Amino acid sequence: MKKILLACAGGFSTSMLVERMKESARVKGIEVVIDAVAESDIADQTPFDIIMLGPQMGHAEGDLAAEYPNIPVTTIDMMDYGMMDGDKVLGTAIELMEKGA
Amino acid sequence: MAGAAQWRSKIQKVSTKIQKNTYISAISNGLMALMPILILGAIFSLINALKLEPYQNFLESTGLKDYTSIPATVTTDVIALYAVFSIAYNFATQHKQQGFSAGILALMSFLLVTPKGLLDDGATKAFGYSWLGAKGLFVAIILALVVGKIYTFVLEKKFYIKMPKGVPPTVEKSFAALTPGFIVAILMLIFSAIFAATKYGNMHEFVFSIIQLPLTSLGGTWWAMLICIFVIHLLWFFGVHGTLVVYSVVGPIWVALGLENLDAYQRGVEGTHIIGSPFFPVYVLIGGAGATLGLIIAMLFAKSTRYKTLGKLAIVPSLIGVNEPVIFGMPLVLNVRFMIPFIVTPLVSSGLAILLTTIGVLPVLHGIQVPLGIPVLVNGWMNGGWRVSAFQLVMIAASFLIYYPFFKKADAEALEQEQQAEAAAVSKEKGGVPNAQPVS
Repeated sequence: MKKILLACAGGFSTSMLVERMKESARVKGIEVVIDAVAESDIADQTPFDIIMLGPQMGHAEGDLAAEYPNIPVTTIDMMDYGMMDGDKVLGTAIELMEKGA
Repeated sequence: MAGAAQWRSKIQKVSTKIQKNTYISAISNGLMALMPILILGAIFSLINALKLEPYQNFLESTGLKDYTSIPATVTTDVIALYAVFSIAYNFATQHKQQGFSAGILALMSFLLVTPKGLLDDGATKAFGYSWLGAKGLFVAIILALVVGKIYTFVLEKKFYIKMPKGVPPTVEKSFAALTPGFIVAILMLIFSAIFAATKYGNMHEFVFSIIQLPLTSLGGTWWAMLICIFVIHLLWFFGVHGTLVVYSVVGPIWVALGLENLDAYQRGVEGTHIIGSPFFPVYVLIGGAGATLGLIIAMLFAKSTRYKTLGKLAIVPSLIGVNEPVIFGMPLVLNVRFMIPFIVTPLVSSGLAILLTTIGVLPVLHGIQVPLGIPVLVNGWMNGGWRVSAFQLVMIAASFLIYYPFFKKADAEALEQEQQAEAAAVSKEKGGVPNAQPVS
């Protein structure tokens, strides 16, 4: 199963979004694992298929992309993040994972 | 806006550099890892020192006091011991080396330079507590970085005794840590000898009076705090997690000050540092960066659906200081309209707090490390009783008043947009085109 990893400073606000993405996945019948962590803990995670950063951590995108060249690394759209739009962010994640890094 | 976007990427680059600097991030991650211990110590300090006479009498008479006073002595009172290990550990792991060996060597180094004495019986050797707590924090930080650097350098350059082929790798590993171990041990002995020859007598006394005291008194001034708050919010305006960036630099100073206050509180006296680690969650982040709780309350009464929805979404996390929904959903990032209240509100709140504490209306905060997750008002009460909570309440109202004029305009515009969109949809429908919008 694909695993989507969301990261922000402490994993707090991303975990709110994760709940909404899970809900959206449930409604749409998409089987996927979604998790939120602190940016500094990304390396401790089991393999994942995409990293999505909270916009406040956007500055880490370049470094992470270099560190994980085989998976897509992206910063979540500010508006989608603010409105906690689980549907849209999940859609973006799936689209990016299909496209690859 | 193109100019702003350019600025944004420049600022992000600098912020990343600061935050990703291995020395700075070892310190901030190392201290962050001590949170459970700091919080435990703080909560027990509160339980032990809560100023309610019947409660204190109860603790004394039941003999519980003997126990409630223990946790502080093994948590915050010896925080430097935990810090030196934790920071060196973090430094080494960032360099992809074994953290444990680096941490344990740093701890040994710290104990090597710490003064030891004899108890009255003339036979019992002892470490005094005085340098193991907040006062020893800077020596802990310095030694953790020095030892971490030596350790990783030696291992990266492979300056250690190599074992002949056939020797198990575990043996080789323990020998590998031996070389940096000897180097740092000898270095610490040299340090001890050098400082013993000065008027300071030992490394702790030296670092405390030459580095820690000047730095903390500088970092503890009202204007340093206000500058930090200004920079944090300017960074947030550009979409960078300002709190994280600034805290990684000034955090150790504020933590040291907060712990000194906590120590005073334990001894039943009021602390002396107005600025300290709890100042931030209690007086600045009322509702999160930008002190936005009042704004969010205003949003609950919004006329536009957009802001009303956002307000409902944001109110609960905002009570514990998490306000990314408003920061990015409003948005407050790169939004010139809200730039003034976003920067002014936390400055007003903290400026007033400093003033009122100076003249004695508000108590000096106890230095209780409040974890994220403790709501506003409660965190104030924990750190100084009802007066602090009452002040927070007033500041929520102030936040409402400062943001309101700006918000009213944004709300009216959003409402107009919504009405226009609705009117367009209706006329489209009348024109015979079915409304194909899926209901989400």
